[in-house]
Amino acid sequence: MKHREPTRQERTLINRALDRWGVFEFFHDKRILLEKESTKVCLLPANLEPVLAKLEPYFAGLEIGELKKQFTPAMPGADLFARVTNNGRFYITVSENAEKLVLYGRDIMGDSIISASDDLDENELVIVLNGKRDAIGVGRTRFAGKSLFQKERITVTTLLDAGLYLREEGD
Amino acid sequence: MKTALFPESAESESLAAEYGYDSWLVSRFMRYVPDINDFLAAMERQPARYLRVNEIKISSGELKTRLESKGFELESTILPEVFSVKKSPMSIGATTEYMLGQYYVQDLSSCLAVDALDAKQDQTILDIAAAPGGKTTFIAQRMKNTGSVIALEPNEKRARSMTFNLARCGVSNTAVFRLDGKDAEKLGTKFDRVLLDAPCSCEGVIARDVTRKTSHSPGDVEYCSDRQEKLVESAARLVKPGGVLVYSTCSFAPEENEMVVDSLLHSGHISVEPITYGSEGLTRFDDHEFSGQLKNARRLYPHLHNTTGFFIAKLRIN
Repeated sequence: MKHREPTRQERTLINRALDRWGVFEFFHDKRILLEKESTKVCLLPANLEPVLAKLEPYFAGLEIGELKKQFTPAMPGADLFARVTNNGRFYITVSENAEKLVLYGRDIMGDSIISASDDLDENELVIVLNGKRDAIGVGRTRFAGKSLFQKERITVTTLLDAGLYLREEGD
Repeated sequence: MKTALFPESAESESLAAEYGYDSWLVSRFMRYVPDINDFLAAMERQPARYLRVNEIKISSGELKTRLESKGFELESTILPEVFSVKKSPMSIGATTEYMLGQYYVQDLSSCLAVDALDAKQDQTILDIAAAPGGKTTFIAQRMKNTGSVIALEPNEKRARSMTFNLARCGVSNTAVFRLDGKDAEKLGTKFDRVLLDAPCSCEGVIARDVTRKTSHSPGDVEYCSDRQEKLVESAARLVKPGGVLVYSTCSFAPEENEMVVDSLLHSGHISVEPITYGSEGLTRFDDHEFSGQLKNARRLYPHLHNTTGFFIAKLRIN
């Protein structure tokens, strides 16, 4: 696994995303690189670089997201963002019952959402939190604003969930 | 190193028959394990269960409150991040908190090896034979995710499994290399701290895998001991002057523990520093006499310390 510096355009996209998730300040002195042969965005400690320059690691740092047309948080990134964010707009909170379902990769019903910003649009990426504000998933809204709370309808599609560590490890 | 074997006695044969061990092994245990009857009885019980709070993600107090509200009973241990699990209403690997990486299921003995390493923020640390990553993630936690940890694991399946644990625990300061410990010099750098939890004959975890009572052979001890000697020599060369090498195994066998460390001490400029918890290391075994410094190493026994069997030596490289 080799890493490279993001291009100027990629850096701009990443910075915009970090700002959107309310973590720009947290990352301003951190080293963010891209994996050379994938779209993964990684947080890496600067003092690992001399070793990484000599030998190619199997794995390094923390994968915070994926950069295609836009930046999508990976689960470790979502978890970190939720712990350090100063802006809750793109974070939604779900009930305890929904938490269990999300951790199995299930989509989210409107009745299960405890809080979500009225400013959310349709088709927005959101980080899904449980009642204790732990990141349990990453989702995409199917509706905007108050329509997210409509009963008996799936209103957020779950894209990633924290249960995947254990499911993938078992594969 | 040749595995020492001892004549079987009526007592060793009777204990071996009672507990289902090969008698050569019981004859050996009688030479290096205190209170053999209590020990063999303790090895019949399921080992105590511990969890280590991942303070990268949550404080010990907060996790304790959360788990207790779910019906867990937790008891403090000698390490502030580690709790003994006295009661759990579900498997300790089946909670949301576990899934979210807020704790790691890890024996106290293994945490004590990391504690002996005395990892500090911004240091560079090497963890040899690191998978599945319990000690690596604890090192990263003690460093508050600063500095850097280089973790070595030659086996691809184990290295892959380790990456899931690193991600689950939110570790950002670690790189995993598929390298054998004896090839670690390829990294071309020296480290403030090196942890070598050496592959061993696993005598200390017989309570978890009872097949080892009879599948274990004197040849295993000899094979492991030879390999450990090479690994510890290589590990010592990677420590910066003044740095620390922690050598540990989950075996009771002196050939894998004190003898390995003693042979390293002969190279000079290395001292064994004290560790507080556990029984003193041996200074003699069979017809071997070891450096008196080996008293500073520690042996952990299930019947005395309520952990799996373990050996830890903290070596200062001058």
